[in-house]
Amino acid sequence: MKEWQTFVRRFSDMTEGKRELFIKDLTPGTAKYDTKHVIAVVARSATGLTDPNILWIRGESGEKAVEPWYIAIEQVMKEDCVPGKPWEDVLDAVAKRAK
Amino acid sequence: MAFNSHRDFFQVLEREGELARVKKEVDWDGEVGAIGRKTYESQGPAILFEKIKDYPEGYMISNGTTGTWSRVALSLGMPRRATVRQIYKEYETRVAEKIPPRLVGKGDAPCKENIMLGDDVNLYEFPMPLIHEGDGGRYVGTWDIVINEDPETRWQNWGMYRFMAHTKNWLTGWPQTTSQFAFIMNRSYLPYNKPMPVAIVLGADPLSHIIATAGIKPFENESFYVGGLRGEPVDLVKCETSNLLVPAHAEIVIEGEAMPDQIAPDGPFGEYPGYRSGTMCAGVAVRVKAITYRSKPLVTMIALGTPPDDSSIAASLTAAVAMKEGLLRHNVPITDVYVPPEGVTHLIVIGVTKGGTETTRKILDFFTRRRVMTNKHIVVDADVDVFNMAEVLHCFATRCHPGRGILYEWYEGRSNSLTPFYNPEERKKLKGCSVAFDSTWPPEWEKEIVPIKASFNTIFTKEMIEKVNSNWESYGIKL
Repeated sequence: MKEWQTFVRRFSDMTEGKRELFIKDLTPGTAKYDTKHVIAVVARSATGLTDPNILWIRGESGEKAVEPWYIAIEQVMKEDCVPGKPWEDVLDAVAKRAK
Repeated sequence: MAFNSHRDFFQVLEREGELARVKKEVDWDGEVGAIGRKTYESQGPAILFEKIKDYPEGYMISNGTTGTWSRVALSLGMPRRATVRQIYKEYETRVAEKIPPRLVGKGDAPCKENIMLGDDVNLYEFPMPLIHEGDGGRYVGTWDIVINEDPETRWQNWGMYRFMAHTKNWLTGWPQTTSQFAFIMNRSYLPYNKPMPVAIVLGADPLSHIIATAGIKPFENESFYVGGLRGEPVDLVKCETSNLLVPAHAEIVIEGEAMPDQIAPDGPFGEYPGYRSGTMCAGVAVRVKAITYRSKPLVTMIALGTPPDDSSIAASLTAAVAMKEGLLRHNVPITDVYVPPEGVTHLIVIGVTKGGTETTRKILDFFTRRRVMTNKHIVVDADVDVFNMAEVLHCFATRCHPGRGILYEWYEGRSNSLTPFYNPEERKKLKGCSVAFDSTWPPEWEKEIVPIKASFNTIFTKEMIEKVNSNWESYGIKL
């Protein structure tokens, strides 16, 4: 399974379901840690996900959650960024778009 | 003669035993950062990693170019055993003279040997390191010079800010909201929704990088101070995609635009205070339009973290001299200022000729009136060598009255959000607190009640001191 990584402020901020997020590609090679801006379904278990990949969660100090989550990417966004002003909280901006 | 580039400087470092060439293949993904960190923590040499996994022969990463006082001394052309006080004095003398840069053409600019433009831009062609496990990305900009321009005055600011690869042609980074980068962007680009040209430079001459850490006043070009420090002009060349001028002998120049209306995640990153603490996803996004670079390019890295390292050493030097100048301009009766690298610019030592509460309050006001990067200030009398931390600690322990000698100042909107002990709310609102420890004898005390320091040079008569010094060898005591 392919592996990805994403950052949240608190582990509890990650919830199951469909969401927009930025994920880092953990495939070895020169493009490792390249970012994809995606719409995906995220869950604690791979069961029920279509073509699931592993998703590692890290908190705001970089600490890695012990157990992996799973991700099924539905759409890779063309835009590498989201609308917002410099120094605005990106995670808040993404959360507002979801609402 | 001044160094033009890291390559010239490495020759001197090697001759002086201050450079290790690592010929074994190493991994840019964590390994170079770990080696760099361990080397700093053992006061080891600068490192040139000559073989990087996944990358062509000749592509290199360096660490710790000026990560010790001895290497800073060498960068200034001083003997490697120069004392910190001597280095401070030399720096202070040289930056008092400003020498404008020299503009050169592309033909005289090694940084133009290779050019990627537009769709050809690919950051992943360079061995950008993942420095610490758990960082938000590959930080190509750590020991860098970030250049941006105020279009109205043509002031070109140089600063040192972190930038990481987001995608093959996007960077994200985090110049603080109180930085001069942010000042220019807020003043001249955001109100007009205009992208701001930016150049991120790796591997210029070592003194250019040191000056990039300095708190030079707004509207003053750092390149002029570099000239003063070098004793000769720094060569600059125009960017391919903007009017920004960049060091012509740099290894790599990443040209782009900081966007006024798009954002993406940056961080977290193990930062200069020595921790990785929560500052992420609140920076800027730069679309990269061109990369120019020397053949067999070098990515100049610092595996930032617990001091000392290049960041804490450079900041110690540049910040102290700037603080001293500022305090003198504000009529504070100082002897000298020391920024111990171990205190990562959070802790400052200020020597004064006249102590007491009023002087200490003046000092605290100076450090908190605008952007606040420091938070602990130990004010000591003139008989204390500010560069001698044993003396400073003794003075602090014995002269700072816990009830009368500790002054505080709270503020909002201007603190340093990288300060590890601030909680998330304080970081978000730039709320903070600074303290000054008055470790001086109260000036109103009569001479008879001021304690006499029981040390060799202060508690014995001049005659006794002379007698002991002149007879020292005959005592047979080896020191």
